[in-house]
Amino acid sequence: MEVLDAHTHVDESPALGWMDPPEMLIPLLDEAGIRRAVIMAYRDAPAPQLEAFEYVANAVARYPDRLWAFVRLNPRQPAEAKRLLEYAVRERGFKGLKLHPVSFALPPGHVLVVDLIRAAAQLHVPVLFHSGDDGQSTPLEIAPAAAACPEAAIILGHMGGYFHTADAIDVARTYPNVYLETSAMPYPWRIRDAVRAIGPHRVLFGSDGPGCQPALEVDKVRRAGLAEADLTLVLGGNLRRLLAQGPGAR
Amino acid sequence: MILDAEVYLGPNLFGPSYDLDTLIGALDAAGVERAVVCPARPPKYHLEPANDAVADAVRRHPHRLIGFARVDPHQGPAALAELRRSVEHLGLHGLLLHPWEELFCVNDRMLDPLLAYARERGILVQVAGGFPVVSHAVQIADLARRFPEVTILATHGGQINISGRGLYEAGEMLRTRPNVYLQTSGIYREDWMEDMSHALGAARLVFGSGAPYYDLGFELERIHRLHLPAADREAIAGTNLARLLNLP
Repeated sequence: MEVLDAHTHVDESPALGWMDPPEMLIPLLDEAGIRRAVIMAYRDAPAPQLEAFEYVANAVARYPDRLWAFVRLNPRQPAEAKRLLEYAVRERGFKGLKLHPVSFALPPGHVLVVDLIRAAAQLHVPVLFHSGDDGQSTPLEIAPAAAACPEAAIILGHMGGYFHTADAIDVARTYPNVYLETSAMPYPWRIRDAVRAIGPHRVLFGSDGPGCQPALEVDKVRRAGLAEADLTLVLGGNLRRLLAQGPGAR
Repeated sequence: MILDAEVYLGPNLFGPSYDLDTLIGALDAAGVERAVVCPARPPKYHLEPANDAVADAVRRHPHRLIGFARVDPHQGPAALAELRRSVEHLGLHGLLLHPWEELFCVNDRMLDPLLAYARERGILVQVAGGFPVVSHAVQIADLARRFPEVTILATHGGQINISGRGLYEAGEMLRTRPNVYLQTSGIYREDWMEDMSHALGAARLVFGSGAPYYDLGFELERIHRLHLPAADREAIAGTNLARLLNLP
């Protein structure tokens, strides 16, 4: 069974104290039996830090068979963010867009955010939102963005965190362009609830590694009690299908 | 020895619940030898019968369960009286404070008589930690600063924040307040547990599952899979808490 990870981090953020070069992540992927992972930065580009973009691109260049990149952007610099998104996807092989509203402090339904999501949809790449319990990241706050951009594939990373997993499942049931990603949230049975509620094709395994341990996160999915065919989709098949829709997919 | 610092027993106003047989079955299935059992908040609100039920469970499974009392600090002198009754007549071994479900700020001065009693009796205090507004790490640290002789277990390591925004303050709480222990239920980030173990010693980490709010087997798996020496994992899984509870 091919295991692919929809959500990991490679970046060095002295401000947060999170120093995670790819060499931190790769052995954890090996331990977990994960063939390939989507990486993203801890820092938004172009501001506050453009170098986060190059850091992630360089990591993929070093491990091209193990990593895919999503570009993490700040919609408050709309023109530059859009230019960087197009450059990242068309010229540098990035496979998606990561948005962390807790970091850039805009409501997900804000016009600046929606414009960037639409640009991602035009490039045929998915958008992974951090979706936890903090304001501006809860599933019901992301729902207006999903409604405004039905052509965009929107992934709720962490599927609502500790207190908002039921909302995440409801939002995914309402909007067929919404996907749920399993990382970090602590309830194995919520993965089973999600598959029952929306079917097996829009639930994606993610680990949030290296901070959250990838092997433990795989174990969490296995504890959900899914049928074997559904497990295959959740652990890897869905992500491969989703990323195959982008330009230059392989 | 695997010792779970936090399981809940009885009908639960807030949802998931274990009856005694289900609880024992869950411990057996996960390979947990002993557990600290805390009362869930009953649908009828009264905590006294729930403390009685915990004491009864301990009587029926004296080698498996250690009972903690639960009181509502809003009840003032009645809360202190119930804690006294639970410890001195029911034989319970600690105090559970659940600021989220009883709705109080954990560093509120109204808790002082309860903490003073815990200090006097040398009993452990377990705080449901990391809940918004009521039990942030800075609030638990403030309580711990005022009662340095009281051993406090902070569930979730004192932070429930999947953005990682709670990690810094929780780390400061553990670094500056040696009487606070990182209890691991439902915790965000295995690398943070490993970092805290390296920085402060594995003796400061205590396994708790928080079941049935969390999955008992999965929460124990977190400990087994930590990238720490086997001796440290064993200490976290049980012997640290056994020492704090003076278990034989």
